[in-house]
Amino acid sequence: MSTDNSSKPAEASAGAASSNPGPSENGEDEKAAVYECNICLDTAHDAVVSMCGHLFCWPCLHQWLETRPQRQLCPVCKAGIGKDKVIPIYGRGNPNPQDPREKLPPRPSGQRPEPENTGGFPAFGFGDGGFQFSFGIGAFPFGIFTSSFNMSDNRPGPPQAGSPQHTEEQFLSRIFLWVAILFLFWLLIA
Amino acid sequence: MASMEKRLQKELLALTKDPPVGVKVNTDAITKNLAEWTVDLEGAPGTVFEGENFQLQFKFGSRYPFDSPQVMFIGPNIPLHPHVYSNGHICLSILTDDWSPALSVQSVCLSVVSMLSSCKEKKRPPDNALYVKTCSKNPKKTRWWYHDDSV
Repeated sequence: MSTDNSSKPAEASAGAASSNPGPSENGEDEKAAVYECNICLDTAHDAVVSMCGHLFCWPCLHQWLETRPQRQLCPVCKAGIGKDKVIPIYGRGNPNPQDPREKLPPRPSGQRPEPENTGGFPAFGFGDGGFQFSFGIGAFPFGIFTSSFNMSDNRPGPPQAGSPQHTEEQFLSRIFLWVAILFLFWLLIA
Repeated sequence: MASMEKRLQKELLALTKDPPVGVKVNTDAITKNLAEWTVDLEGAPGTVFEGENFQLQFKFGSRYPFDSPQVMFIGPNIPLHPHVYSNGHICLSILTDDWSPALSVQSVCLSVVSMLSSCKEKKRPPDNALYVKTCSKNPKKTRWWYHDDSV
């Protein structure tokens, strides 16, 4: 046993935890070790304790639970463990305690950027322009009206006025409007 | 990566400061980023391996301690044991399926020494020749079948 305590974790937490300081430096060292996370071996931060009494940093334990989601065991004693089977610990030093389980540990999350519309054939961009063509069974004349006259909403906004895409879409929608009118006219006379 | 090095740093300090009997870290053989260690083991007195020395190699991945280290015997003396293959691979459940992040280099070393100590008869595993010919270099890639708790 040496008295070298260069590896001693944060003094503050050790001080807060001990009401009567140990007689020797070694004793203090061991006292601080009592509050070490069983995974990172550092003084536990965002600490949680399991039902079986083992202390962890929540980020450490969370990562372990993620590693084996179908077999969640306490790393120390292999008792059952889980997010709802641990208790957060709030020390005195923290003015506004927040459940560590609420704030997920900082880790890179998956990203899914939206594909960019490169606009190869803007004239055929049916879904995303101001025009939508749909077939379906509905209340017959109104179905045609809603789809032809853009009465339904929930679509991305039209392109800026003046842009080539805008003029082309205006042109297209006018053509289809006339097609729809001719179709209605044919229905009436047939 | 940083958390792995930090933890290994702590383990190394504790193991050099207060090593268990028969376990000695070879600090000269440790690589710069702590990812590879060599530990010298002594056969426990009163066992069939009394007086023998072995070298255990540890390789740590960046996911340590959530992922188990790769542990095998290296060097000229590979123990003759029913769970140790002649290429140094060890059939020990805590090195794969039963790994836990609360385990450490020290606890793995003690488990290996204890496994050696409970051996009564020095012999290779029955499938040694076939396994050594067909296995991967990395013992973690082997699908171990843990069936014998007696040795």
